[in-house]
Amino acid sequence: MLHVLQSAARPASDAVLRAMFAARKSVFVDLLKWDVPVLDGAYEVDQFDDVHATYLILAEPDGTHLGSARLLPTTRPHILDSFYADLCEDAPPRDADTFEITRFCLDRRLTAGERRQVRDTLVSALVEHALATGISGYSAIAEIGWFQQILAFGWRCMPLGLPRVINGTMLAALRIEITPETPSLLESGRATSAALRVDRRVAA
Amino acid sequence: MRLHALATQFMHVVEAVGSADDLALAMAAITAEIGFQFFALTHHVDIVAASGSAIRLHNYPAQWADYYDGNALGVSDPVHRASHVTGIGFCWSRMPFMIPLTAADRRMLALGRDQGIGDGFTVPANVPGEARGSCSFANQAGRPMPDTTLPLAQLAGNFAFEAARRLWSTRGHLPVPQPRALTDRQRDCLLWVARGKGDWEIAIILGISEETVARHVRDACERYGVNKRTLLVIRALFDGTLTFTDLFSR
Repeated sequence: MLHVLQSAARPASDAVLRAMFAARKSVFVDLLKWDVPVLDGAYEVDQFDDVHATYLILAEPDGTHLGSARLLPTTRPHILDSFYADLCEDAPPRDADTFEITRFCLDRRLTAGERRQVRDTLVSALVEHALATGISGYSAIAEIGWFQQILAFGWRCMPLGLPRVINGTMLAALRIEITPETPSLLESGRATSAALRVDRRVAA
Repeated sequence: MRLHALATQFMHVVEAVGSADDLALAMAAITAEIGFQFFALTHHVDIVAASGSAIRLHNYPAQWADYYDGNALGVSDPVHRASHVTGIGFCWSRMPFMIPLTAADRRMLALGRDQGIGDGFTVPANVPGEARGSCSFANQAGRPMPDTTLPLAQLAGNFAFEAARRLWSTRGHLPVPQPRALTDRQRDCLLWVARGKGDWEIAIILGISEETVARHVRDACERYGVNKRTLLVIRALFDGTLTFTDLFSR
């Protein structure tokens, strides 16, 4: 079940949001060791988790978190312009129809096969959300190790600048273009992956 | 030209390539722009055995390529092995700090130098579920490493590999037969085999007879079509039936 939540202050979706913040703590703090704030020792919540953030959350009917992503309007302070402007050759994107994808999070409890499925569903949901709301592009910051995978989704990506090593990690900023053709590009991307897959049970 | 403009131009070119020849042309052009002579875009498999289904595109000297294929170096190549321990592009001079190099590795690197391949920069390309691959840029011995353009080499490598994936996926790919999944009990036994236990020890740990353990392991071998326990463990680790975390957590 996909939840699109426009604001962190909506009581009805409390449980789904709380599960997402907990999953983010588990992934970004516990697993990836990011130095980001943690609330009550359980929830990863930062200064961008405010009323301007939009969340796409995939959850079980009972609210169990599967995967999620946070979208920030680039017309307000966001991560690329606040912390990583150096990754952009020109000024960081700042348009009403460009949103920044941050905190792309797949639940740690998923098996390899489930991860791939949730990942693909979340990517499709991002594209559908963009097409439904008039978003023409996403900006994102990626660790270079993930870059090949992001390209392999099949959507059209362009680097916003050259990769740089920041605090020991090589990062790159990219723009993902969203057009009415993007859903069929994702489909081709999946066909490519299916054709090249050497083992259907290998870890994602 | 500014590096980023060069990068953007290259991305547009590789996005539009319709054949391996087009991609080879684009690669040769960008390789020269960033200060290298040679490129190699490849899946890390025995290219001769894989017969056309694996990505492989390069402009290495023919003599060296023949030797490389003849000795099935695509599998043991230290450059390939090193690219499996990092997600970031690396200079070959850093390999001794990344993986243990054997005497044969050093001989191979020396031979490559003699044949015209000196130092290089390799961008690992790993898409989960697929054969690992990489994009390398190289120079003959004695030419300087073009340090300032390496970030561009990194991006170019990622985009070129993606273009190659798209091109190769439409070629006749031989489907690999999928082994039948192990039973839970077979997996339990295999876990202890992987941890170094013999049948007698496993029998005591799991509270079953030694013969039953032997049968589970034999049946597991059969499902994977292998006849050695070592191979069985490797295959199970590769496809995710076992994980390294399983092995080390007690």
